Amino acid sequence: MNEVKVIRVVLMFILLSAINLVVYGCTNTDNKLQQSNETDESTGATSKLEANSGELVVYSARNERFVQALLDKFTQDTGIRAIPLHEASPLRVVEEANNVQADVYISNDLGALGYLHMNGLLLGSNPKGIDTIPEEFRSDDNAYFAISARSRGFIYNKDLISEEEMPKSIEDLFHAKWAQVKNGYAVTRGGNGGMIGHVSALRYEWGDEKTSEWIAVIRENAAGIYQGHGDIRRAVGAGEHAFGLVNNYYYHQQLLEPRDNNVGFIYIDQEEDQMGVVVNAAGVGLVKGGPNEANAIKFLEWLLLPENQVAFVGQSLELLINSHFGAVYPPEVEPYIVGFNEIKAQNMPVKELGNFFEDTKELIEKSGLDLDLR
Amino acid sequence: MGQVHISQFDKTKKIKQGKKMPSNILQYVNRKWLSIWKGNPPGLVLILFTFFTSLLMSIPIFYVIWRSFFAGGDRWKRLLDERIPQLLWNTLSLNLAVTVCAVIIGVSLAWIVTRTDIPGRKIWQWVLALPLVIPPYVGAVTYIIVFGPSGWARDIWNNSPLIVDLFGEYSINIYSFGGVFFVLTMFTYPYVYIIANASLRKMNHNFEEAASSLGSTPLQIFWKVNLPMLRPAIGSGAVLVSLYVLSDFGAISMLRYVTFTAAIYFQRQGMDISSAAVLSLVLVLLTIAILWLESLSKKKNKYYQTTNTYRKPLTLRLGKWKLVTFFYVSMVFLVSVLIPIIVLVYWSNIGIRMGALDERFFGFAFNSLKVSGIAAFICMLFAMPIIYLRSRYPSVISSAIERLSYSGYALPGIIVALGFIFIFNNHIPSIYGTFHMLYLAFVVRFLPQTMQAGDSSMRLISPRIDEAARSLGYPPWKVMFKVIMPNMLPGIMAGGSLAFVSSIKELPATLMLRSPGFDTLAIRVYFEAHERIYHLAAPSALLIILMSIIPLRYMLKKY
Repeated sequence: MNEVKVIRVVLMFILLSAINLVVYGCTNTDNKLQQSNETDESTGATSKLEANSGELVVYSARNERFVQALLDKFTQDTGIRAIPLHEASPLRVVEEANNVQADVYISNDLGALGYLHMNGLLLGSNPKGIDTIPEEFRSDDNAYFAISARSRGFIYNKDLISEEEMPKSIEDLFHAKWAQVKNGYAVTRGGNGGMIGHVSALRYEWGDEKTSEWIAVIRENAAGIYQGHGDIRRAVGAGEHAFGLVNNYYYHQQLLEPRDNNVGFIYIDQEEDQMGVVVNAAGVGLVKGGPNEANAIKFLEWLLLPENQVAFVGQSLELLINSHFGAVYPPEVEPYIVGFNEIKAQNMPVKELGNFFEDTKELIEKSGLDLDLR
Repeated sequence: MGQVHISQFDKTKKIKQGKKMPSNILQYVNRKWLSIWKGNPPGLVLILFTFFTSLLMSIPIFYVIWRSFFAGGDRWKRLLDERIPQLLWNTLSLNLAVTVCAVIIGVSLAWIVTRTDIPGRKIWQWVLALPLVIPPYVGAVTYIIVFGPSGWARDIWNNSPLIVDLFGEYSINIYSFGGVFFVLTMFTYPYVYIIANASLRKMNHNFEEAASSLGSTPLQIFWKVNLPMLRPAIGSGAVLVSLYVLSDFGAISMLRYVTFTAAIYFQRQGMDISSAAVLSLVLVLLTIAILWLESLSKKKNKYYQTTNTYRKPLTLRLGKWKLVTFFYVSMVFLVSVLIPIIVLVYWSNIGIRMGALDERFFGFAFNSLKVSGIAAFICMLFAMPIIYLRSRYPSVISSAIERLSYSGYALPGIIVALGFIFIFNNHIPSIYGTFHMLYLAFVVRFLPQTMQAGDSSMRLISPRIDEAARSLGYPPWKVMFKVIMPNMLPGIMAGGSLAFVSSIKELPATLMLRSPGFDTLAIRVYFEAHERIYHLAAPSALLIILMSIIPLRYMLKKY
């Protein structure tokens, strides 16, 4: 008899969800009808919230926590419903070129945005407030621009290795001795956006042959190869590895952890004759032919407001390009923030990265570092 | 198949062109058509409906295979040289290790709870099947929390000087072959346990008695009488475990291991679709190989039980072994049920106090219910005609339709998802990127489950009932709706609830096909756990487990 009850419960579930679907479907079409009505009655005195109703499809390759907070704020401020797809690869935008789904693409890697632009998948525009972004951090037609920046370097576990013992240059990794350090070091898989950007910068500096050699060496010597930088900072924090190659804000994030936070960071290649630290930036691009173009422009203009540029950085603890807008960092991290004016950065313009994107992936794979974990 | 197409085609042609066709060809086609159906063809609506269902079910897989042929010789060569050998080794070694251990644990537990006087026997019977409701990726999360590099075990270990003195610093690495093997074994052994349990209970005591009277010890009886009789049960349990290990993505990727399924997922993330298709083809071949091995072992041996002189088996007194046995059973229970639940409750508690049960959470829960509910509903709807056709109109065509419909069952969800992306993005863009793709994929994946359950109740409905209804003047369609359907309903419902739960738990296809803004509980568990935000992952995981308990009773009864 119990069986019958159980089946009844399940049936109720299914029925309810079926009903919900119908109701949801109806309201959805209603909304659409309403929307078209609203646009028709342009003379009507509609409130700001209503005028802005609608949707915005956001593809994002950035960590979900940072982006979701930003999008929630956007919806709150404008009334436009932001529909996110997190962990979206830039190549998904390429794949969907004939069937465009996204309105904007948020990326951690300016190289990816540059690549999309090169392939004609982004649309130039002139959103209000774009002149707050320095020219080297946006494309010529403003199809994409960056808000925050990060530099590459080594996070290390102070219990395992001291600052003096740490490598200070990316070239140091050519030495096999770093494989002998207790617990070794960690890098990401080759297909990671940050890794691709870094290798592109090295190619710009060294040329392909030396870069390829470097990749082969770290592939051989690294004690751990991880999916993403978050895994590396946690592994180094927990003492699984002595150090790892990450972006500087992962160091900031690890400082915030309640435990495993005895870590330091090396900004590499700072000497007179060295290349300087490799810089990458996170930003947003306007996808060509997206379903809600007007809302996408609204999003860009909203994002360019100083307050929202600060929100873009949010919990990521990256550096705001417009540092004078005053990004706020938690007290645990604040003393360790190193501004861009204090470090020597590589002289390659960040927006050059897009030109390297495709070939770099090929080079990485050819040199023996897999794009994906195996 | 060729024959099927021709007769289908000719039949429609016949209808269209009617009188123009020479009458002898028409007669020939008609005769052929009737002979296929042994003089009793089903209605055209039924045929078309089931035909399209089976097409929907099998197209994604064929499409993936088709695509793999266009990957180019270069890519094939590269993958064959570098990627595939390593993946084969990873996949097969894990598969073999998990399957063997799951069989050992499953059979030994089943034997203990059915044949010995272990204390609390009745309770153990169903409690030991419980790990079935814990999806392995949830199990993996809990064991990362416990044994991970900054897990609970590390604190205990490093805080007890004795252990540190003996073994040095904390050195358990959960991200290893051992870790994956442990987690998958602990959460898949119930497949074997349930089936072995049922078959042990049905086993006739007469055989054991005969052996015993000839001087065999209980251990000898187990090896010489029980075990050979259990072979079919072990075989089907092992196949289930093995197929599961092939298709698992969640637990394997969370523990940083890479098998074919994980590799396909990552290739797709990197948008190397052609390589993904090539790897998929190998995975399909592996799956077919496993199914073939099973059918081979079934063909070779036939086991018969005589039921008319059935006598209940005796209960073995454990005596001095009681403590050891009890300890063993309790340990399995502790590891596979208690610890995961404790960890989840601990983190859910923290999460709920931090406000994890917010609007977003209920949105995800609702999304899960919605896609799974729709999928289950469609499964029930589609299963009935196919079962009816196969059981009442047996022929080449109907069995082909049934076979095709089963193709999603054995093949990993990741391949179904890959096929869907190919098809919908290129050919049906209006559905691409909506949540409709997701429940359709669930239907492909889980319709066979519903069909199996429905089929078992269909078998109980004698064709004579149909005949009786027909003889009283009902047309065939009315027989189906008025007589067959009401009788088939309990089985179909149970099958639907199975499909519902499987859909809620499903991870790889859900991850690949989710549309913007449409996350489900399973997706949340995966992402939050990956970011180690356990207080958000735990409530979702717990809710999935609670919902999965619903059809457990049914599953236990089925075997």
